[in-house]
Amino acid sequence: MSRTRSYGRKNLIISILFAVLIFILSIKLDPYNLGQLAVALMLFIGVLSIVLLTGASGQISLGQGALMAVGGFAAALAILNLGLSIWVAIILAVIAALLAGLLLGIAAARLSGPYLAGTTLVIALAIPSLATRFESVFGGDVGLNINFGNPPAWLSSLMGSVGYEQWQLLATLPFAVLALLFTSNILNSRTGRSWRALRDNEIASSLNGIDISQTKIFVFVISSGFAGLAGVLYGLRGIVGPSVYPISLSLMLLTGAVLGGIRSILGALIGSILVVFLPDVIDSIMKHFSPSEQVANYLPAMISSLLLILTVVLNPGGIAHGLHRTRRHL
Amino acid sequence: MALVAGVAVSSLAVTALPATAATDPGVTSSEIVLGMQLPQSGPASPGYNKVDDAARAYFDYVNSKGGIYGRKVRLEVRDDQYKAGLTVSSASSLINKDKVFAFIGSIGTQTHISVISDINRRGIPDLFVNSGYSGFYTNPKTYPTTFAGLGTYVVESKIVGKYIKDTYPTKKVGILYQTDDFGRNALQGFTTAGLSFEAKKTAVNFIAGTQGSIGLASQLTALKANGVEIVIIAAVASATAIAVATAAQLGYKPDKWVVTSVGADATTFQTILGSKGVTPAVSAGMLAGIISASHAPSPGDTTDEYVAAFKKINDDFNKGPDKRWDNNVLQGMNIAYMATEALFGTGSNLTRKGIISYIENNGSKMSSAALSPLGYSRTSHEAFTAFWIGAYDGATVLKPITGTRVLYTTDSGTGPVTVSNYMRPALPADAIAKGA
Repeated sequence: MSRTRSYGRKNLIISILFAVLIFILSIKLDPYNLGQLAVALMLFIGVLSIVLLTGASGQISLGQGALMAVGGFAAALAILNLGLSIWVAIILAVIAALLAGLLLGIAAARLSGPYLAGTTLVIALAIPSLATRFESVFGGDVGLNINFGNPPAWLSSLMGSVGYEQWQLLATLPFAVLALLFTSNILNSRTGRSWRALRDNEIASSLNGIDISQTKIFVFVISSGFAGLAGVLYGLRGIVGPSVYPISLSLMLLTGAVLGGIRSILGALIGSILVVFLPDVIDSIMKHFSPSEQVANYLPAMISSLLLILTVVLNPGGIAHGLHRTRRHL
Repeated sequence: MALVAGVAVSSLAVTALPATAATDPGVTSSEIVLGMQLPQSGPASPGYNKVDDAARAYFDYVNSKGGIYGRKVRLEVRDDQYKAGLTVSSASSLINKDKVFAFIGSIGTQTHISVISDINRRGIPDLFVNSGYSGFYTNPKTYPTTFAGLGTYVVESKIVGKYIKDTYPTKKVGILYQTDDFGRNALQGFTTAGLSFEAKKTAVNFIAGTQGSIGLASQLTALKANGVEIVIIAAVASATAIAVATAAQLGYKPDKWVVTSVGADATTFQTILGSKGVTPAVSAGMLAGIISASHAPSPGDTTDEYVAAFKKINDDFNKGPDKRWDNNVLQGMNIAYMATEALFGTGSNLTRKGIISYIENNGSKMSSAALSPLGYSRTSHEAFTAFWIGAYDGATVLKPITGTRVLYTTDSGTGPVTVSNYMRPALPADAIAKGA
């Protein structure tokens, strides 16, 4: 019990330090990088959903982007049709994603490996396209416009002039911190250990009294809540629509998780920052070489793919695992 | 603690990225930075991906003549693949990273919808948008910084719709449109003109961007099954080519195809069909007889002084991968020509408010390659308010349908269609307008 309390205290301190560091960055960075960092934090929450689902419990999902869409659309409908504030809409979005995760989890509990991957892939393709099927509700392929709005007056009076990108980052930060705290606590709890047991050996964990189906459904529900939260924050940048949550978004989350380290919270953060900032770094390097627009447009995706292949072949644990190994060697 | 260390390392990495000055964005003593969003890749890109290179070519020409009050124009471009989600990210990049002074000529209705509020909220001039969606322009109080670069789809569709109704009163008319505000806006214009359609029978639609994968066969089969004799297409250029080719495969031969101007570029039509193995001679035959409308001279009309001058600038300055002269190149050049005129007209003390005020007060007197008047004022940010109707000949040139070019004008509401006697200003000797 004291060990659990000790973990809890450590996780709280780390989360507070994380919040302070991001807050400092929110003052230091220029608007473009503030906006990029805000996106990285949104994706961090999304990648954490994969860390929980795949990294901890061993269930593969290629459809986290679809669950992000569930969150985004639920919030957009709540804001535009019910006139709710974005904060209430965010809560509703998470609840909607939890429910979607429950339905998905019930189906997923019967599936594993490639069958589960295939099912979630289909969902990633199907859910955003529902927006075009029910155009009058979901706004068709254009989508629904929502945004973070202007920074509140109290924040501006406290911090001086608060830019739109700064506000995006500051509005996202509490949710990222909560996601971090929740993830680190649950992974260090009895629940987290049962998920890992499930991942490592289903039969053994079943013999030890873990209800396999119930546990799988529970992980799916929690993971979906994270994805829904990431989705609504991602949509609040300006628009919720099929083109905001394409299949490539699901693959980007997976790329971030694998590059950073799919079993690590630190890996999720590194992976999120990598997928957001890597194109900028490549762009700034390529400006010296004046490539054609075709090369410039596709190069970031090509390099990400190459890094992904190299990670899987050379360092399957991702960057976080590599850092951990290096520290142990030192 | 590894997480905190990770954040700290990431912080250092991120803060190492260049920060930029926050004042007077996009304008220095030596440079004006403009931004454009368009599909450079993806299914909607064919044809439209030439607009940025054409605009840049014109700016390079202006720069070679000394620039605008000594400032060189630099055009930054972002590929949004015609996906609204990417438009949000790329707008942020242009605004915050490239620090553009203004957006010019951004392409796409559904994509621009995702960023127009943000651009306007920041007070950034959003000039000459390549979308004819009337909702962007008819009430400047909603989008005070946004100005059109095309005539509205409503204006064009009302004019063409009236022509169809008057010329083919007994024919059954159908429409194929894309399910966004572009398609719906055009549909609104045609129905305002008195044409009527029945959903899923004589009015069929598709999701923009899917035309390549779905081939539009089910939509055309529905039109064929319902005996549609005149097919209107209100969609991007790539969809036109696919629709006409698919109809040929289905053995569907409507009496007439009528295509809205943004979907009727001959080069794009032939290029897309060429990629499917259709020879230029055959695709020219498929294009022949298609009715369309235009606010501009036909790019094939080399006797037109604007066409001749812009074509030469394109030959000399366009460094894009495909500089073949067509409607898209002409439109890109014209957008840049108008932007240059507005920048000159605003004066050497260039501000965002200044250029918006200049266009609102002087825009209707600005010159352009278009044969149509410009509708810019304090109460409307519409661009071209008149169109002439033509049909493609066997040499892929849009020719006036009655032999003589007649300009028709109307509004984006329910006003009547009338003949316009507008005469555009002559082209300056150096092909650079210095302001009204």
